[in-house]
Amino acid sequence: MVRWLLFFLAFPVAAQTTISGTVTAAGKPVPDANVVLEGSYDGGLTDTNGAFAFQTSETGSYTLLVIAGGFETFRKSITLPCDPLQIQLKADGTLLDAVVINAGSFEAGEKARASVLKPLDIVTTAGSAGNIIAALQTLPGSQVAGEDGRLFVRGGEAGETQTFVDGLRVAQPYGPIINNIPARGRFSPFLFSGIAFSTGGFSAEYGEALSGVLLLNTRDEELEEKTDISLMSVGVGIGHTLKREKQSLSVNLSYIDLAPYQVAIPQNIKWNRPFRSASGEAVYRRHFENMLWKVYGAFEATTFDVDRESINEPVRSRVDLQNANFYFNSSLQGRAGAWDWFAGTGYGFADNKINLFSGEVNNSEHSLHVKAKANRRLFGKVRLLTGLEYFATTFREQFQDAEQAAMTGFTSNLMAAFTETEWIVSRTVSLRSGVRFSFENQTANATLDPRISLGWKPAKEHQISFAYGNFHQLPSADFLKFANQYGVQNEEAEHFILNYTFNKNKRTLRGEFYYKNYDNLLRFDSPFAPETFRNDGRGYAAGFDLFWRDNASIRNLEYWVSYSLIDTRRRYRDFPVEATPAFNAKHTASLVTKYWVESLRSQIGITYTVASGRPFTNPNQSGFLQGRTPAFNNVSIGWAYLIDQQKILYFSASNVFNSANVFGYEYANNPGSDGVFQRREIIPTADRFFFIGFFWTISDDKKSNQLNTL
Amino acid sequence: MKKILFLAIVLCSAVSVAQGKFEQGMGKAMQAWKEGKPDDAVALLERIAIAEPTQWLPDYYVAFITTLASFESRDQEQNARRFVRAQNALDAALMKTGENDELHVLQALLYTARIVADPMTNGMTYSPKVMEHYNKALAINPENPRAVFGKAEFEINSARFFGKDISGMCGEVRRSITLFEKEKPSGFMPSWGRDRAAEVLKNCK
Repeated sequence: MVRWLLFFLAFPVAAQTTISGTVTAAGKPVPDANVVLEGSYDGGLTDTNGAFAFQTSETGSYTLLVIAGGFETFRKSITLPCDPLQIQLKADGTLLDAVVINAGSFEAGEKARASVLKPLDIVTTAGSAGNIIAALQTLPGSQVAGEDGRLFVRGGEAGETQTFVDGLRVAQPYGPIINNIPARGRFSPFLFSGIAFSTGGFSAEYGEALSGVLLLNTRDEELEEKTDISLMSVGVGIGHTLKREKQSLSVNLSYIDLAPYQVAIPQNIKWNRPFRSASGEAVYRRHFENMLWKVYGAFEATTFDVDRESINEPVRSRVDLQNANFYFNSSLQGRAGAWDWFAGTGYGFADNKINLFSGEVNNSEHSLHVKAKANRRLFGKVRLLTGLEYFATTFREQFQDAEQAAMTGFTSNLMAAFTETEWIVSRTVSLRSGVRFSFENQTANATLDPRISLGWKPAKEHQISFAYGNFHQLPSADFLKFANQYGVQNEEAEHFILNYTFNKNKRTLRGEFYYKNYDNLLRFDSPFAPETFRNDGRGYAAGFDLFWRDNASIRNLEYWVSYSLIDTRRRYRDFPVEATPAFNAKHTASLVTKYWVESLRSQIGITYTVASGRPFTNPNQSGFLQGRTPAFNNVSIGWAYLIDQQKILYFSASNVFNSANVFGYEYANNPGSDGVFQRREIIPTADRFFFIGFFWTISDDKKSNQLNTL
Repeated sequence: MKKILFLAIVLCSAVSVAQGKFEQGMGKAMQAWKEGKPDDAVALLERIAIAEPTQWLPDYYVAFITTLASFESRDQEQNARRFVRAQNALDAALMKTGENDELHVLQALLYTARIVADPMTNGMTYSPKVMEHYNKALAINPENPRAVFGKAEFEINSARFFGKDISGMCGEVRRSITLFEKEKPSGFMPSWGRDRAAEVLKNCK
């Protein structure tokens, strides 16, 4: 009887077991962690000291889970009743990337290297007029070359930066550029959800670029069906998006004609037929169960006809250009077991017909890129990426004048393989190392490029990164066409980068030191004397980039400041001595502001860019590239007014203070009778640019507008 | 005989305990929430959700309470974590039951919360998504008062910004209130929103 009584008394006591303990991570208590006895409803939250205690009537074997934001879920088998537990959580490695600066790109670790702007930033930057490239020129590391329009990264030529759409190379990313009429980027910003711009030390996945890569990713899905109509002072545009459950299609067409604008604004050059361009882009996406299929296509046809002025020619000579460009890519990406895979192909075609005073040049380029890659996680902390790619380029050029017809061309085949591992050593340290192998038939060059980068995050807001890499690139088509005959080789660069990033509450500070060593640069006595081609040029670029972005300090104001200091010299092409190329300014700074005025329903943006003088050769003095142009100044303003949810009026003006900017000088080939070489200034095609546009979106929900297409 | 009777009693009570356990757990969680302890409520709901692989309501309330908490906090970092947690819970609920009108309403609310937290970054991206999910909810159940009201309130807020006429939308709020009145609460099915609708209607002119 006593035994029975004892049993009954003991029973409820035994039924209520207390489970207690503490939860810590890296020696610090973790508050608000949910401690769960899996399968029962019993459990508790940790307090500020990481301590927990709860009662349960369960007995036997259970799995204890500890769930806390930012940490891997902890699991442990326990047998009830049990002693107090000491639980240590591990930081969730996948979240490490999320807190690294400039998230938004798929490339983990690349994020530390790449500067990512939102598409909205591109289009709302005053002075960019929706040109992705113009907006990127407000970031540190790139030069402002107003007469050219292309991206010049850290002392490199424009061709040293490659552009990729959805991982596939776009061989001809710019419209035509001729005689100091700047090129425009081909891409309309609103089709892209992520834009990553890397100014060095990038992943082994990307090759054939000595200086930088620009990665554009099309949107994975469209948000809604809509029609966009744009009426602009420079042309018209129409866009339509179709959306179904699993697929969507966006098409944009635009026609730009600068004739009315050029009548209104005084021009510095004489146009026989102003710039006209018809272009279109389309993106199609289809989601399958474990796969996404994307197709991107773009075409552009451009013509213009100008009278070229030259100090060496008494009469203006006429240049009439017709350019047609087509680009298409298709890619599949998905998941198979533990592997994320990607396969895609891209094809580009460009055709130029240029009527020069002296004759007619006809050239065409076909370029193909095929790529496959796969990546997976190993042991939770290591990500392995491996892939193969193939580039084929066919170039044909014909020159014809009254006396002769000359034909040149080549076909280049390049195979490459890359592999890379990213190892999250701990919450504070991550290491990425990779290697890229390539072989090309024209030059018979086989190269092996190691790349390594290291990230260290001593505290949540601070990160220090180091990157080293070796990069090879084939010379451009102008020279590659002589590769077979005259033994042209590829060019080489080596990057060393040290970066510090501070990121807190929508404020970002980024400072970066770099040193870039160039080797095997192509040299010659004249570009028309291929027998003098030799790869013994060298050079370097060293500098410091600073970027500060603040979206929080002042309500409704976003701004960023960037500053670049560069010291670079090269001996390449026909340089007689080592010198700083003409496209480099020693100091470049930009201030970009965007202010939202609620009462006016307007966003007002001001962009100020200043650059120190650029080198030019003054034949009246001894030396080469020894002169410096005056400093460059430009203040642009933009004003977007929301008439209602779906109608926007946009106004912008560049160079509002009418600074007289000079990009360089053209000197006479021969001195005048007084022994002095006369010169002509190379100046912008127009001192100012004005733009007025009306943008109207028609959609079901009546909410969306084209603010992000401006 | 005694043994059989004993077994029957034990089994019956075991069954009734099992049936009541979910209701009891949910009741306790709702109680904690009403008492102003949302963290405790969410923690308990999360445990119930793990233990009950076929019940979507615990996941629903984890997402709902977490989303509401974000509206009252200005801590960006904490809110970012809340959004992840709410979305995960919502996805889990969707896995358990498939799509339904209440989950679409909640998804729209979660996107609204993201817009409120950072309008400059998220406004453009999530506004169409909010509308898409309200429309999907209404396609499944045109009489869902939370969908009718949620959509109207979202439209009112943006129309106010542009100084547009909102009388049509106020009519929708009024209609939602009649729908709220018709609604019969059953178990722990979502039944929130009526008070808020009444408040919005008061300021609706």
